[in-house]
Amino acid sequence: MVDDQPGKLLSYEAILGPLREKLLKANSGREALEYLLKTDIAVVLMDVSMPDIDGFQLADMIREHPRFQQTAIIFISAVHLSDVDRLKGYERGAVDYISVPVIPELLRAKVSVFAELYRKTQQLEKLNRELEQRVADRTEELRESESQFRSLANSIPQLAWMTHPDGTIFWYNQRWYDYTGTTFEEVKGWGWKVMHHPDHLDEVIRKFQRCLTRGEPWEDTFPLRGKDGNYRWFLSRALPIRDVNGKIVRWFGTNTDITDRKQAEEALVKSERLAAMGRLAGIIAHEINNPLEAISNAFYLLRDHPSLDEEARYYSKLAEDELARVAHITKQTLSFYRESQQAIAVSLSDVLDNVIELQSRTLHMNSIALEKRFQTQGKIQGYPGELKQVFLNIIGNAIQAMPNGGRLRIRLRESAAGSGRRGVRVSVCDTGMGIRSEHAKRLFEPFFSTKEAKGTGLGLWISKGIIQKYEGTIRFRSLKSAGHNATCFSVFIPTAAATEPTEIAALVA
Amino acid sequence: MDQRKAMILCVDDEENPLVLRKLVLQKAGYEVLTARSAKEALELTASRPVDLVLSDHLMPGMNGTELAQEIKAAHPNLPVILISGVNELPVGSAHANAFVSKIEGPDALCKEVALVLNLPLETCGDC
Repeated sequence: MVDDQPGKLLSYEAILGPLREKLLKANSGREALEYLLKTDIAVVLMDVSMPDIDGFQLADMIREHPRFQQTAIIFISAVHLSDVDRLKGYERGAVDYISVPVIPELLRAKVSVFAELYRKTQQLEKLNRELEQRVADRTEELRESESQFRSLANSIPQLAWMTHPDGTIFWYNQRWYDYTGTTFEEVKGWGWKVMHHPDHLDEVIRKFQRCLTRGEPWEDTFPLRGKDGNYRWFLSRALPIRDVNGKIVRWFGTNTDITDRKQAEEALVKSERLAAMGRLAGIIAHEINNPLEAISNAFYLLRDHPSLDEEARYYSKLAEDELARVAHITKQTLSFYRESQQAIAVSLSDVLDNVIELQSRTLHMNSIALEKRFQTQGKIQGYPGELKQVFLNIIGNAIQAMPNGGRLRIRLRESAAGSGRRGVRVSVCDTGMGIRSEHAKRLFEPFFSTKEAKGTGLGLWISKGIIQKYEGTIRFRSLKSAGHNATCFSVFIPTAAATEPTEIAALVA
Repeated sequence: MDQRKAMILCVDDEENPLVLRKLVLQKAGYEVLTARSAKEALELTASRPVDLVLSDHLMPGMNGTELAQEIKAAHPNLPVILISGVNELPVGSAHANAFVSKIEGPDALCKEVALVLNLPLETCGDC
């Protein structure tokens, strides 16, 4: 309430008292401005005619301040035409006027309306500020959760992606790009089809689309091509993401590399099958051995029975020879699958002869010329079964590398390791297709195979493990020149124990 | 060794192999007794002079190694040879003096018998 006459201020106070609002009295425009700067003012009630600063001047000054542009102003004035014109200048903003004599009810009503408006505006502003804060908070949360999602999606070992409800992919994680070597442009939408093996693609799409249509979680297992051109097996899953109304807004999918697991499982199945076969072969061989002994003994007795003529003796001799073959087979079968409990004296020449005999048919059928150079018997302490496994693997690989014939050279000789440790060296050389330099580094890794579906990729890995048990080494060299390839595997097994120097020292002493 | 033919006790639960093994040993110049079970074999070693026991390993009831153990308990100096279709030494085979595989054939068997009886190999008939 601004008026230069204290009496008027008192009368306004009396009129407005029942509103129960906070009333401030200013005797001049200057005093009014001081109040405005210090306090939040809902309505300014001012007399137009005041000395020093009149009402209109005060109103202009108030309006100039950004904070008070919306502050309600009620002028109290005897109506002059000039006043009405000037009032029009305040069309914007809350401005009203009351003519004198002041009708108390009217003043109360006008002030009350403006006070109420002020309160409502304040509430709205407060609400607005709160809303803005919430929006800001949520935006920050979203940004944070988005960034958390991305770092999570990029740190998981799986390939991950998201699709629109129709199955077109709009996002992949970094692992996808790292594995496939593709760009988003190449694989967006349904572009990922190119990473699939043609034998599996139709079935993959059929299953995926069925899940899209039904809104059911998707799961499938199939190979995906990596940037190196090799396929690896992935277990793939996708889940529909729904909004609050249950409508699918996107799908989130992953591909988990299960190649190693799959290969390990297959290798396990294979080795279990082999073990079962071994047991079965053992049982059969044992069951055959009983009648076999009886038949052998019968022919032995028949051999030079006086009642036999020459022809009958000839037949008997043939039968005895063939029986010896049967006996040989059962003996092989039994010794192959049964491993002795402790290391025994093994002659590597016997082991190699044994392996060569097992491979003799293949050697002959593939027109492979065998060159055998044994300069020693190669006596070591060990387990014949596993040694046979090693050389069966190495010699088998050499033979498989020569499907169109070639030469196989197997050498056995006394040798010494670089350290000077004495031992036996077996070298197996073939004139097959050779080992590609990019394969050379990985040759002894488990599950690495150059034989596609035919190899388990475990052979050389196991062989290396066995040879290392003997504190030996297994190495290879592959030479490629125009028309002449040679691949040599060299296995060194120490014969003298590492403790030899102390033994010698003991002898000298 | 005196000039008396050595007496071998052959043990096997199967008829044909037992008879044929007996014939091979007889041809090699030995006297042969047969038993169809470990129990019967123990009765025979208790009542008859026997120089060597040649027993199958896998038999119903008492097996070869158990028989060898029993025999050694009663007759520490009576040699026992185990014969089996299995190619590896059975558990407890240490109780026997030797172990032969059935698939080695009659010659190998005769050699082993002569060896255990400490006979010169030439006495081993056709071996």
